Amino acid sequence: MVLAFASFREILGKEREMRLLESATVKDLLEELAAARPAFKEAAFDDTGALRDYVLLMVNRKRIDPTRDLSRPLQDGDELAIFPPLAGG
Amino acid sequence: MIEITEKEISLDEMIKRARSRDAGAMVTFLGTVRDDGIERMEVEAFREAAQAELEAIREEAMSRFHLIEAEVVHRTGSLAVGESILAIVCSAAHRDEAFSGCRYIIEELKKRAPLWKKELGENGGCWVGQT
Repeated sequence: MVLAFASFREILGKEREMRLLESATVKDLLEELAAARPAFKEAAFDDTGALRDYVLLMVNRKRIDPTRDLSRPLQDGDELAIFPPLAGG
Repeated sequence: MIEITEKEISLDEMIKRARSRDAGAMVTFLGTVRDDGIERMEVEAFREAAQAELEAIREEAMSRFHLIEAEVVHRTGSLAVGESILAIVCSAAHRDEAFSGCRYIIEELKKRAPLWKKELGENGGCWVGQT
């Protein structure tokens, strides 16, 4: 399940189920979304194909570090949340 | 108590819940929609994750600053200029702990809780904090 919030929700919708190949990683999922939605590719990736600094991610409601954890494999039933910088309060 | 709600915040109710015979100080914080040339503000939450994060922040504040009670209510939905976005009420035996606890909760909430604000004006909308 992919959840998107704020500006990313406006591009991707609030939630969507995705079927991935076994051993697919967080990066694979983000690239699949980028291929399906050019507006997401533009918003989330820079010209070199690197994830933009302001893209924040959670897997199963725990923050992951996009500089380190994009190669993390996803399991069946995992929930990935994609959102921009926090701005509560 | 932690609450993320579309309903208007009742500060009186929060103060009632945080009152205690052991408290000598209660500090309240209200975050409100500032008129920066906007018409409204939309507030969005990753509700389950924000609730869990706010519970953790509350527990930390209670323990670090010896608070007696801490209440946090965050609005979501469409808010007009001047409306409350967030309210925090902290009670403690003495004012230093109550002020410090309240300050800790708002600063950590801003850093850690998955909540977002969109300013809406004549020329469309803009997500706060996003370049």
